[in-house]
This record gives sequence, C-alpha cells and structure tokens, in this order.
Amino acid sequence: MIEVKNISKSYKLNKKQMLKEKSNNKTKIAVLDLSFEAKENEIFGLLGPNGAGKTTTLRCIATLLKPTAGEIKVQGYDTVKQSKEVRQRICFLTNELKLDEHFSPKYTMEYFGKLYGLDDNLINSRRNMLFDYFGINEFQNMKIGELSTGMKQKLSIAVSLVHDPQVIIFDEPTNGLDIITAKAVTDYLKELKKQGKIIIISTHIMSVAEKLCDKVAIIIDGEIKSRGTVKEIIKENQSEDLEDAFFEIYNCAIMGEI
Amino acid sequence: MLSVIIKKELKRVFTDRRLVFSAFILPALSIFIMYSLMGVMVEKLQDDIVENIPTVYIQNSPEGFKSFFEESKFISEVDYIYIDEIQEIEIIKQEIRDGKIDLLVEFQPDFEKGINEYKGTGEIPVINTYSNSSKEYSSYAKNVIFGDLLYEYENLLLGKRVGDINYINVFDIDKNNENKDLADEKKVVGKGLSSFIPLLISILLFAGAMSVGMDAVAGEKERGTMATLLVTPVKREVIALGKIISLAIVSVISALSFVVGIVGSLPFASSFLAPGSGDFDISALAFGVSDFTKLFLVLLSLVSIYVCLIILLSIMAKTVKEAGAYVSPCYMVVLFLAVLTGFGAEQLVSWKYAIPIYGNISAIKDIFMFQLTWSHFAINFASSLVLSSILVYIITKLFNSEKVMLAK
Repeated sequence: MIEVKNISKSYKLNKKQMLKEKSNNKTKIAVLDLSFEAKENEIFGLLGPNGAGKTTTLRCIATLLKPTAGEIKVQGYDTVKQSKEVRQRICFLTNELKLDEHFSPKYTMEYFGKLYGLDDNLINSRRNMLFDYFGINEFQNMKIGELSTGMKQKLSIAVSLVHDPQVIIFDEPTNGLDIITAKAVTDYLKELKKQGKIIIISTHIMSVAEKLCDKVAIIIDGEIKSRGTVKEIIKENQSEDLEDAFFEIYNCAIMGEI
Repeated sequence: MLSVIIKKELKRVFTDRRLVFSAFILPALSIFIMYSLMGVMVEKLQDDIVENIPTVYIQNSPEGFKSFFEESKFISEVDYIYIDEIQEIEIIKQEIRDGKIDLLVEFQPDFEKGINEYKGTGEIPVINTYSNSSKEYSSYAKNVIFGDLLYEYENLLLGKRVGDINYINVFDIDKNNENKDLADEKKVVGKGLSSFIPLLISILLFAGAMSVGMDAVAGEKERGTMATLLVTPVKREVIALGKIISLAIVSVISALSFVVGIVGSLPFASSFLAPGSGDFDISALAFGVSDFTKLFLVLLSLVSIYVCLIILLSIMAKTVKEAGAYVSPCYMVVLFLAVLTGFGAEQLVSWKYAIPIYGNISAIKDIFMFQLTWSHFAINFASSLVLSSILVYIITKLFNSEKVMLAK
C-alpha cells in the first residue's frame, strides 16, 4: 500500500525563477497538505492540469524528492528514512526518464537487473518474459538510438520492471505515444493490476483516466480538490463524464481563488 | 555494485568507436605526427642552413686578409665579393634587409696599417659587420662562418705581433679529458625529459578526462538517463564513486596513449625537443622501483584531483554545454599552474609541494630528475589525498541533492 499523509513540498525561488513564475514570493508551494492511499489490485490516478503538482507528488513517492512536510510510506517503508528499501520495491516511469542510446536493449536490461541486485538467471528470465510481451526480442541487439520512439518507450517500461516491483509509479503513461504504443502500455498496466500490483499514474487526459483508473484524485494548484472512484466523482458533480466533472471542479477552484 | 557502474561507464567509452578514436587514437597519432614532422623539419632546416652558400660583401679588404681567406677552408663556404665603393653600401644594406645578400663585412680604411703601427695604446682598428638576425642564412654567415674566420684571422695577426703563432696559445681546456662531464647519464636524459614530459602529461591527463567526464555526468543529466539511474536502489555515493573511478581510468589510458605518441616520435624529434643534445636514449633513464612507485602515486593523486574537479563542475551543470563553460576556466588554471612549474627553482621549498596540481607537477619533474625525496613526496601525496577526499565528499553531497540532480 502507498500511504501519502499530509505532504507538502515547497521550493525556494531565485530571482530568475521568480520572474518566470511572475511571483513576488520567494517560496513556491508545489503541493500542499496532500493525503491519499493507493492499494493493491487498483490503479490510482492523479489528475490535473500541467503544473498542478502531479509530477512532484509522484517524485516524492519515488524518493527522488523529499517532502517539506508530511510523510509517505510505501509498503510500510518511509520514503525519506528508508529510501533504498522503497526504491527496491518500486519502479518509476516518466517520459523524461531515458536510456543510454549507445547500448543495446539486451545489455541495458542486464545492467539495470544487476543494479537491482538480481542474479543472471533471474535477469534472463525477466528479460525473456518482458521482451516477449513488448515485442522487443528481434531488436534486442540493436542500439537503443536506432529504435523507434514507441519501441524505446516499451523498452523503458521493460527495463523499469526488470526487478518485478510491487509498486508501479507512472507519470503521464501515454504522453507523446502513438495510439498503438499507448494501447500496449495501458493494456500492460491493466495486466499488472490483475497481478496484484499497486499502480499509481498521473495524467491530464481524462479519457485515459476514465478507462484505466479505479480511483482518482483531482489536484489543482497543489491541492486535492476531489477524491474517489470515477463513478463517485461523476455523480458528485452531476456530470456526464469525468472530463465534465473535472471542469466543474476546476471552475469551482478558480472561482474560489477569485 | 561499484564494479557494475564502473564496467558500464568504461563500456560506454570503449565501445564507442568515435570516442575511442577521438580520445585515445587521434591524440597519440597527432602528437606522433606533429613531433616527428617538426623534428624532421628542424633537422632539414639546420642542414639547409649549413649547406647554403651565403653571399658576403667584404669592403676595404686588406691584402693580408684576402690571402688568409682565400687559402682558408672558409673560401668554399661563402660566395664573396670584394668592394671598395662607399656609395654601394646603402644598397647592400637594403638587400641584406630584404634577404638577398647575407652579410657585409666592413674593414676600416687602412686596417692593416693600423694593425702594424699599433703600439699598445690608442684605438685599435675596427671591423663592422652588417647582417639580418631575422634571416637564418644571414645569422649563420655572421655568427658561425665569419665568427670562426675572423677569430682565426685575429690569431694569425696576434702570432705575427708576438713573433710566433704558438706563443698565443697559453693553455688548452679539456684537450684529452674524455670524462669532463661527470653527470649521471640517466640524470642528463631525465633532465631533458623533465622539461616537457611532466608539463605535457599533466595537461593531457586533464584534457583526456574533460570531454568524457562532462558527458558522463552533465550529458547523463541532459539526456535524462541520470534520473533513471537515481531511481534504482544503488546508493548515490556508489554512483558518484563509480563515475570518479571510471573517469580516472579513462584519463590515465588517454594520457598513456599520448606518452606512446611522444616516445614513438623521439627518434625523429630529438633535434626539436633537445637541440644539440643528440639522440635521446630512453634506456638510460633507469627508473628504480621507488621511482616508479612515486611516479605512479603522484600521477594517481593528480588524476583524482582532476577527475573530481571535472565531475564536481559537471554535476552543477544541466547540459554538456554549460559544463564546458565551467570546466574550461578550470583547464586554464591547470595550464597556468603547469607552465608555472617551468619557472621555479631547481628544487622547491617543502611547503610548495602541498599546493595542489602545482606541487604534483613539480613532484613529477623531480622524479624525472631523480631528486624527489620521500618527505616531499609524502607532503604532496597527503595534500592531494585531503583535497580529493574533500572533493569526493562534496560530490556525494551533490549527488544526494534533489535541487542539483533534478534541476531543470
């Protein structure tokens, strides 16, 4: 289980950043007092516009960032005090995470497998299984730089799953992907859910969230404005679909600020 | 886990044919070709100067000089023209400036009379020479050919003055002394090499690590591959150390390839690297176990300082281009310190061995001159160790800093 308890994350801004943010405040609050839980056998979605704090939240769960306040526990391990234990159990995927294009998919799998402390036999069996699923086998000895964008993304997913993690954190899983690769990715996330994994994704595409997520939290300006199953949120806002419900919540939030 | 990172970093470098060619083969090849070519050209230039027949105008030549000159061995080495006309002088001087004529030797009018009537007081006769020091042929005609010729002519006149030419030779220096230079042969060769090898190695070690180091850290950040590495359970300290050690290995191999290039060029380059000393006999440079130990450890400490500096500056950059902007000034400082070692005393005062980089390069020089004491070595090694440890500490801190590692 992932337990996010009252986390906040703020950054200090330098003068250049203050100008860029058009702010007089030296501190930028990325997320404020966020709490939610994600459990086994479900896909949890963080929904929100760009800059809402989705990536910051996921990075905090993935131990890349330390929350300024609050705590996060992954499978009972604290992300700050027991970050190594947490990293052993998670995979964190984003379109910004890249693989060295000089190496082959085969070597890259071996390398990351070793970094996760796996032995050669386990690496081989995981590689065969994942490469089969994603159709990477015939490209496994080519340089990653020579692969198509879709194949690179599939390889990134395969590499991040080499250690068979219990928790999958995926920032914008279908962003920038062609429709075929996007389908392959979402299908695999459903497959992982069936296997009992905890999956947490972020997205600003409501149709993806509606099809994929069991529970969602809508984040606007770093704060959770609504939380529940997709059906609950649609019903709560008397909307036709999740997109309408999102805009309802978004407009309320903006009006509240004004 | 450390070995996994090191292996990957080395594989990244050594399986990239372009990188191998540009970091290891090209530098060695270019330094070999450059030094060999310069050596051959300097030798050719020297031969050309010796073989050239300079054109020399001799004004107001006394009869005695004419007969001495025409009977001497120098007659075949110059193309000479006797002149008396004063009005031609300015034209000849202009032609010397233009490089068309090499030398004008002007005897004072009544030169011979002045010699013969000289009684030990008053002014002695004068010979003026006009040459062009910017022209090799002209300088050689004046300094070598006419330098020797006029010296012998003076001796002839002195002999006549005292009655017997044998009387003017009062003593010989080192006539039959075959062991006049008591210097150790290995120290002579070592001194020759110490003038340029430490300087080159120290600069090349930095240059070799620079591009690879910037790519290994700032490049990974720029490409987004660093973040992939950071979400693995590997400790940040291990990632940092893996990068430092692999870069040190790359730097040493790159410097070794340069040294191979330099050593390979020595047979052709001796005339340019050590003019007048003849061929370098590297075999005379008999390093003992202690010399090799000192050299290895001093080089290692220098490499660790360089590598830590490059990685430290690269971590703070978001792109390779930005890293270049930070590392280049550091390279300039290394160049400056390396050049500075050429101007110090023959042996430094003890505390100067504690100055990072400067002390290391001076220690390498001392090793080549067989004069690095164990205490100076210890001062240098300890100070390098302290500095490297501080730099490694800062690097690992920065690897753990989310602001530095995930900055956009």
